[in-house]
Amino acid sequence: MFALDEQTKMVQTMVRQWCETQLAPRIPAFEHGSELPFELMKKMAKTFGLDAMVGAQVRKRIDKLKAAEAGGTTDETSAASLSGSLGGDTMMTHVVVKELSRVSPGFAMGWGVSMGLAGGAILAKGTADQVERWGLPLTTCKQIGSWCLTEPGAGSDAFGSMRTTATVDGDGYVLRGSKTFITNGPGADIFVVYAKIDRGEPPAEQSVATFIVLRDDPGFTVGPPFKKMGMRDSPTSEIFFDDVKLGVERLLGGREKGKAGRSDTKDSLANERSGVPAMAWGIIERCYDASVAYVRDRRQFGRRIGDFQAVQLKIADLYLKLRNVENTVFRLAWMQQSKTQDPAYVNASKAWCSQAAVDAALTAIQIHGGYGYMEELGIEKLARDAKMLELGAGTTDINLLSAARALIGPDGGA
Amino acid sequence: MKILVPIKRVPDPALKTKVKDGAIDLTGANWVVNPFDEYAVETALRLLENGEAGARVAGAEIVVVTIGPEDAAQQLRSALATGADRAIRVDAEDKALDAGVVVAALVQIIAAEKPDLVILGKQAVDGDANQVGQMLAGKLGWAQATFAASVELAADQKSVLVGREVDAGVEYKRIGTPGILTVDLRIVSPHSVKNNVTPATFAYPDGPRYASLKGIMAAKKKPMDVKKLSDYGVTTTPVTREVGIELPAARAAGQIVADIPTLVKKLADEAKAI
Repeated sequence: MFALDEQTKMVQTMVRQWCETQLAPRIPAFEHGSELPFELMKKMAKTFGLDAMVGAQVRKRIDKLKAAEAGGTTDETSAASLSGSLGGDTMMTHVVVKELSRVSPGFAMGWGVSMGLAGGAILAKGTADQVERWGLPLTTCKQIGSWCLTEPGAGSDAFGSMRTTATVDGDGYVLRGSKTFITNGPGADIFVVYAKIDRGEPPAEQSVATFIVLRDDPGFTVGPPFKKMGMRDSPTSEIFFDDVKLGVERLLGGREKGKAGRSDTKDSLANERSGVPAMAWGIIERCYDASVAYVRDRRQFGRRIGDFQAVQLKIADLYLKLRNVENTVFRLAWMQQSKTQDPAYVNASKAWCSQAAVDAALTAIQIHGGYGYMEELGIEKLARDAKMLELGAGTTDINLLSAARALIGPDGGA
Repeated sequence: MKILVPIKRVPDPALKTKVKDGAIDLTGANWVVNPFDEYAVETALRLLENGEAGARVAGAEIVVVTIGPEDAAQQLRSALATGADRAIRVDAEDKALDAGVVVAALVQIIAAEKPDLVILGKQAVDGDANQVGQMLAGKLGWAQATFAASVELAADQKSVLVGREVDAGVEYKRIGTPGILTVDLRIVSPHSVKNNVTPATFAYPDGPRYASLKGIMAAKKKPMDVKKLSDYGVTTTPVTREVGIELPAARAAGQIVADIPTLVKKLADEAKAI
């Protein structure tokens, strides 16, 4: 169970070759902001035939939804299994994310947010019409998507402190507020936005709903790309809603769900967290590969530095982290495939893998000495990028608290 | 039209060769399809499709064949994943093979399969022998065009016009089908392969294509025959034998000389270069 099958290995080889020849040469331009990564993302999807493969599945989903809607019912059953995987093979998806993350965790994240989070949310919760108009172009990577929850004043307390509101206006809504740290913001065509439905009740009682906002909607603006410590090859920005008028066709799922609106978001959050360990896997694997090669080759004091115990301990530490994170990803893939719900594991493993990635990248720099600190080797970049994994998709602290709360359970009273 | 592409697995040429006890150490070697054979598969795919529409020409078939041990099935499957239709693996240990044995087997496979074209890499990057294509053409009595840098399939599919890079420029040769083609690296340039189906304006990406995810999934279901050399009545044994393996001697360190007369003297006396 801890080995990749031949097909997945083949995918791994293909994607690695593509990353080395097509992605790696563009990283300096992406890092320094002189070029945006979105055209290459679309090209990648075409090269590997993701558009054709996922497109066929999504069209089936649309037909099923249309049939259900014609019969006056909704189809919720297969939604969870559709979001965030290629051809229903979760391990293959993780391997693609891992391979991209060896070279550019930011590219992996941007692609994952667009296809998996934004595209996945519409695919899982949208009406037939919404899936056709916006879910299909996102999941086939013909267009780029953003997934918008965080606000300037609402991070860990995403729902409680949410200030973006959708005021009911006739048959539609008027969106007001702003979101921040929005991955793909500078280039996205389609934004999946969470907002509170405002009918005049106090904010704590307002339900949360999901809206689809398009880049050229009047009143919608996107800020310039942020300057960040890492993940610079994934452009991020603020977005602003100044009385953006939306028809009911932009309300995801076509109807308000009251309290259930928040649980929709939580499904996406769990998906987001399950995606992080694969990114950590890529970072750690690259650090491990580069470090082992370096300590075999680099000579000081008349012998290779791999013969020094202080260096050997670091290699063993990298190896342990590599295998543990890999095992975690295998377990997450199995959980997704077997539809096993275990929020404590999803949260705790995301926190652990993120920390391991930061530690591994810093260790790899230490092994490489001054060379590791130079941009050219691409390892200092991985260290800067890895830090984001401890902050995004919930901070490590919040992830651990969520895990503990899931384990301890609610207080049932005396 | 039917094209047969023989492929060979080779140790990853990007990795350093290790020599142990007078032999190449292949433990833990990473095997890949010989790069020139990958170009041969790509050439076959480009000849038999509309590249712009991404659709195979009706009735066209590409068969890949390898002679090698069970592990070599992986290399066949990667060719199937990029679009070949069917594979044949003739079971044999690498040690039991040389160009003569391979050609004897291919002659029989070609007699059974009756392809219109056989496309091979110009040589395998492990032994660099550069023999199989030429010997095969000789044994079959077929026309051959070697080191192809470009190829154009005639509209009637009865011949191919092959561009070969020679010292004086590019030589064009037209050979009739059935024929043997061996390909050089420039065959995978954006406009090197023309088939009168793909629009002339269409530019392929440089290099052989990546398998699509769908292609990789489909490869598992494509037919792969496993045969033995004896199934083809091959009794030939290798006529070449390995005498010894050694790595080239390490280069001596350079010297900095004081002036030109010293340099000339050293070139004449020590390097014997002048």
